[in-house]
Amino acid sequence: MAEKEYIKLTPVRQRRGVAIITTSRSNLWLGKDHLLAVDTESYTESYKRFYFRDIQAIVLRKTHRRLIIAIITGFFTVGLGALAAAINDTGAHWFFGIFAGLFAVPFIANLAYGPTCACQLKTAVQTEDVPSISRVKRARKVLARLAPLIAAAQGQVPTPEPAPIAPAPAPAPPAAG
Amino acid sequence: MSTASVQCPKCKTTLPDSAFNLPDFLPCPGCGSGVAVTVYPAFFRPPESGRTGELVMSEGEASCFYHPQKKATLPCEVCGRFVCALCDCVHDGKHLCPTCLETGRTKGKIKSLENTRTRYDNMIFGLAVLAFVPPIIYISFFTSAAALFLMIRHRKSPLGLTQRSRVKFYVGGIIALLQFLGWLALGTWLIARISNGWK
Repeated sequence: MAEKEYIKLTPVRQRRGVAIITTSRSNLWLGKDHLLAVDTESYTESYKRFYFRDIQAIVLRKTHRRLIIAIITGFFTVGLGALAAAINDTGAHWFFGIFAGLFAVPFIANLAYGPTCACQLKTAVQTEDVPSISRVKRARKVLARLAPLIAAAQGQVPTPEPAPIAPAPAPAPPAAG
Repeated sequence: MSTASVQCPKCKTTLPDSAFNLPDFLPCPGCGSGVAVTVYPAFFRPPESGRTGELVMSEGEASCFYHPQKKATLPCEVCGRFVCALCDCVHDGKHLCPTCLETGRTKGKIKSLENTRTRYDNMIFGLAVLAFVPPIIYISFFTSAAALFLMIRHRKSPLGLTQRSRVKFYVGGIIALLQFLGWLALGTWLIARISNGWK
């Protein structure tokens, strides 16, 4: 069997802010000596390669998306669940119960996936958003996986040379007299 | 100390070096958002100075194909043209001239330079599935024909860079083929009925 050229690092995610208007999706793959960011827009895929030797920094910023998703899905779960419990009709009971369950699944999954974040990858000449890294837990896993590969490509962080120690001033001669 | 800087993705405030490589998120000094910065050795490396071609000093000295006034340093590994240090494009350990590099990119010969691909499997599958949508079902003869044409035309075209199977390609093709055969059967039946005077 042929060796896999790329290993999937992150699941496919809609590009932020354009999810309803376009079908642009993004995900990240691990290559032999680079990261491959794949952006899929309807029938075309575009690729960006970030070579391990060029990656300068990865910046994560905590976002409120988890809270927003929790509020929206929680509101519908509780609301529909309350309706299902309140109405004394078997059909309505099941109808609202099923819909409450449908909202409960993303509500629980959202809480289980952990805090959300936005990720940026920096090289000497560009700073690129990585929308497929949207959870802190996933980001930590990706960083842990990348650390040895980047270290192998770039070597160790150069430690600043210690400043030469100035010779201690000679004690003043005791005053005569 | 590095000449580069890292900015907060939200407020663009330059983050201090003390915020680098910490195990947890720290509040950004500008906007207070929690930020975690992981920097790598490349961040501390000074920027490389650009190369300049050396000028030809004496008559008869080999010069660059693209810059006749500059001294040739080596030949292109594909076309053999002499190139100066300025035109020497190193890619995957090979020394190429700018034209060969561009040709390799546009013709898809250098895989690592490809930056876009068409997903014919998505196209075929999309056309095949689209035919089941109520208003389009009436013209599904054309959509299935188009899907079949694409399948035959692009049966050897490469898929996405990260893709490993052609399942979607063939599943879409089979659905389109069944639709097309269905239309043919319907057409044959109709012609037979008409020729029999709708008996």
